[in-house]
Amino acid sequence: VTAEREGQVSRRALFGIFLKAGLAFGGGLGILAVLEQELVTSRQAVSREEFLRLYGLGRVVPSGTMTALAVAYGYRFAGLLGTVIALAALVLPALVLTVALTAAYGLLHRQRWLLELLPVTILPAALAFIVVAGVRLGRGVFRPSLELLVAAAAFAGAALLGVNPVVLLLAGGVAGTLLFARGDGAR
Amino acid sequence: VSLLGLCALVFTYNVATFGNGPGMVPLLQEELVDRRGVLTADQLLYAFTIARVTPGQANTYVAAVGYLLHGLVGALACTAAILLPGYLMLPLLWGYRRLGAVRLVPAFTRGLTVASVGLIFAATLDIGRRTLTGWVSVVVFAAALAMAQLLNWNPLVVLAVSAAVGTAAWLLGWT
Repeated sequence: VTAEREGQVSRRALFGIFLKAGLAFGGGLGILAVLEQELVTSRQAVSREEFLRLYGLGRVVPSGTMTALAVAYGYRFAGLLGTVIALAALVLPALVLTVALTAAYGLLHRQRWLLELLPVTILPAALAFIVVAGVRLGRGVFRPSLELLVAAAAFAGAALLGVNPVVLLLAGGVAGTLLFARGDGAR
Repeated sequence: VSLLGLCALVFTYNVATFGNGPGMVPLLQEELVDRRGVLTADQLLYAFTIARVTPGQANTYVAAVGYLLHGLVGALACTAAILLPGYLMLPLLWGYRRLGAVRLVPAFTRGLTVASVGLIFAATLDIGRRTLTGWVSVVVFAAALAMAQLLNWNPLVVLAVSAAVGTAAWLLGWT
């Protein structure tokens, strides 16, 4: 891959950049903002066009888009070892915090007061987060379109008919291939 | 569920939803909560909550699922399972240079993404039915939704306020 063309990033800097990205809140877009700041604006190691093109390709990869970008930039700047460095740095903050908080749940979930408190505190808040995430993810879908039809069909299949979600997802993909490949629905 | 079986599940669901954290919730719920019964709905919801209050990618909460079922090894293995498909980026970059943009791929991706929106709402309805069991939980949910959606507050603040309101109601004996 053409690594030398637009500037270099050392292994140590690579780890630092992706650790900083892994500390960002706001999911994928929060991470993307840090990467843009570090790689494009600050270090000018990647051109803006290249950055956007890699983002578009990353979305096609069936992993988190940011996971794919960590592999792409890790490989570009430090080969296969670089992919490991970038991926490890990206997930380290979330992994450490997640394990710590889950271990706390394991210690706490037998306490009766917690069993009484969770259903009126954190669990309804979590439900709100799920609703917010759903609304955000569906923002481009909530308008009269074929996309809304596919989404509604998937909803009905899951909520009313109890069809397996994986089947519904793959059916959605096939429907997308048939419906969106020619129109402006394909993005 | 065995460690290898869990990794296979997480790997498959992550690929099927293109690494979409919330999108994996209905799949994990169907398999681990409803079918196998190895996790409770509360545990899965707690895992998803963790994802909202920790930084980084939204699908890293599978580490919590792995930890609950197989300890630290499970957490690391599940994390590796969601990272591994990222390596498909390498052949894709190589192929992209040779083939250029293929039209069907983004259309398939789009259809899958759109279907996952429908699935998320179906799962939300299901989780909502189990979670909103009393009027206090409904009030806390409505308040959290307003803070997160309308006021766009930081998730940590939303959780803190929700916890405070719910705890106050509990201390007053309203629950």
